[in-house]
Amino acid sequence: MRINMKQMGIHILLGLIALVLLFPILFAFVNSFKTFEEATNHIWRIIPIKPTLENYKYVFSALPFVKITWNTFIIAAIVTIFKSVTSILAAYAFVFFDFKGKRGVYFLLISTMFIPFTVTMIPNYITISQLGLNDNIMGVALPQFADALGIFLLRQSMRTIPRSLVEVAKIEKIGHARVMKDIIVPIIKPSVVSTGIIFFINSWNEYVWPVLILKSKDNYTLSLALQMFISAEGGTDFTVAMAVSVITMMVPLLMYIIFQRYIINTFALSGVK
Amino acid sequence: MKEIVFDQVCKSYDQNQVVKKLNMKIKAGERLILLGPSGCGKSTTLRMLAGLEDITSGDLYMGGRRVNDVESGDRNVSMVFQNYALYPHMSVRDNISYALKVNRFPANEIAERTSEAIKMLDLVGLEERKPKELSGGQRQRVALARAIVKRSDYFLLDEPLSNLDAQLRAHARKELVKIHEKYHQTMIYVTHDQTEAMTVGQKIALMDKGVLQAFDTPKKIYNKPANVFTARFIGSPPMNVVEAAYEDGKIFIDGKKMKVPDAWCKVIKKQNKIYFGIRPEDICLSRKGNDKDYSVKAVVRYVEDYGDKYGVYFQINGVEMLALSDGDVPTPGETVHFEPNFDKVHFFDGETQKNLGYPKEK
Ligand SMILES: Nc1ncnc2c1ncn2[C@@H]1O[C@H](COP(=O)(O)OP(=O)(O)OP(=O)(O)O)[C@@H](O)[C@H]1O
Ligand SMILES: [Mg+2]
Repeated sequence: MRINMKQMGIHILLGLIALVLLFPILFAFVNSFKTFEEATNHIWRIIPIKPTLENYKYVFSALPFVKITWNTFIIAAIVTIFKSVTSILAAYAFVFFDFKGKRGVYFLLISTMFIPFTVTMIPNYITISQLGLNDNIMGVALPQFADALGIFLLRQSMRTIPRSLVEVAKIEKIGHARVMKDIIVPIIKPSVVSTGIIFFINSWNEYVWPVLILKSKDNYTLSLALQMFISAEGGTDFTVAMAVSVITMMVPLLMYIIFQRYIINTFALSGVK
Repeated sequence: MKEIVFDQVCKSYDQNQVVKKLNMKIKAGERLILLGPSGCGKSTTLRMLAGLEDITSGDLYMGGRRVNDVESGDRNVSMVFQNYALYPHMSVRDNISYALKVNRFPANEIAERTSEAIKMLDLVGLEERKPKELSGGQRQRVALARAIVKRSDYFLLDEPLSNLDAQLRAHARKELVKIHEKYHQTMIYVTHDQTEAMTVGQKIALMDKGVLQAFDTPKKIYNKPANVFTARFIGSPPMNVVEAAYEDGKIFIDGKKMKVPDAWCKVIKKQNKIYFGIRPEDICLSRKGNDKDYSVKAVVRYVEDYGDKYGVYFQINGVEMLALSDGDVPTPGETVHFEPNFDKVHFFDGETQKNLGYPKEK
């Protein structure tokens, strides 16, 4: 009986937390279907009196939204693929190779996680400009091709694989590329998928860096578009901003729903939670 | 041909020498057991053969070729690990055939070898299971099957049976010998179980603290151990090896005098400090004493019942020994006559601990 009371308490608490976290999403979703007038008068109404698609229509006429969504998706996809590959390669080397100074190199690499973005911003900007990638979505993607977080997460999960698996393969004259493709990646597939999703969503949400690189509206990403509708110049019509928000979060939400199983598993296993 | 030669091979991790000047020649097609206590360097030696550890100094030859710098995959070895190292995401069949596929063997050859191994190791019906759906014994057999489809010249096994229970182990031992007799690879088998060593091995290499202590057939190692370590390590229960002094045809065990037959005196010669060894089953403890000169008085301490036999712990002054007896057992506190079977005793040098040899006619 006691335990049940305790469990019930925990569930009520979790329910409240979920509500708090879900509230902004619900708020944006509901208000994106209201007229500006209705929204100002009945901001808390859950079901709009006269649902309307006007906000969405306006958004799509004001900016090339299909193109912008596509840009954002392409950047995120390229970043995810490249960062996954570089992270797998690096993590494999850190786990299964022995070389002088391995620990030192690893800790140096991990410490880059703690360098603020503002420190690398200017050098990266100059590099990208020199490469002629200003106002180009590749210029947004390129600096994100590798980072320490992915290496860290994948190294953690590769470390759970017994070394003897790789040694058997070595004795059988199976090259490292095959070992990674056929043995390591399939075994840690849930981690690879969930780190991939983290990469994707991080890139999707990126704001400051695209602002620096992208100039023309045709090259915009969703977070830049969203900013336009929130800022003073873009308009004070917040129902429109809500519509843009809903568009922006559609893809990450969908990904989360599809890959939910992997994400929960990985975080539960690695103890990061 | 497919012989293996260790020539002054050393292995160190940083300052720590774990294999010291190993010299050893393993004949082609031989079954060699690497035996020794935990941490003595058995796995390290095996891994040097497999090419998984660098050789710090010395030369290693396989099939007449110096392999110090030859990649693992080019040595034509196969290996079975203690934890089996099966690929967890692949079926039994894929585990067995994967390496052949990667190495581009013809499809019919792969199918043939795989099904032969599956039949031979009694895995029929389990082909599509994943390793986690198998019992320990089945996993072990998959690991063996995977190692034999390669038809390698050298077959390396690191404690392949240590995760099995006693019954399965006895069965698996026979299986291993059967496999070896079919394919005749040069086989190196690491274990710290001496029953396994005696039954599987054609030769035994006994190591201690990185040093090769003995290298011979199981029979020779048991009957004529090369030194005190070997004498104490091989045999269960272990041989009694005690310090003793020798003088004029007599030995003194903790001060107590016992005559030694003439044939032995010629072997021991003028040694003063020696080690005297006798296996528990070669001791007779009699109440009367058959020949008072060639025996010595001892006091029984306690008796263990092994079911078919008794273990009798006794002392000659302060020196404790164990005897095995099946009949008339003395009781604790009783004084008896310790009568060694002098055809089965061993003497070792007091300094080097090496075997002093045996009388001519033996
Ligand atoms: N990678 C390593 N780095 C440092 N020392 C090591 C390493 N591998 C093994 N050693 C040391 O080398 C010695 C021999 O190890 P090894 O694994 O060969 O022993 P073993 O005879 O196989 O023992 P066991 O029967 O317990 O398996 C041990 O003292 C061990 O601590
Ligand atoms: Mg070992």
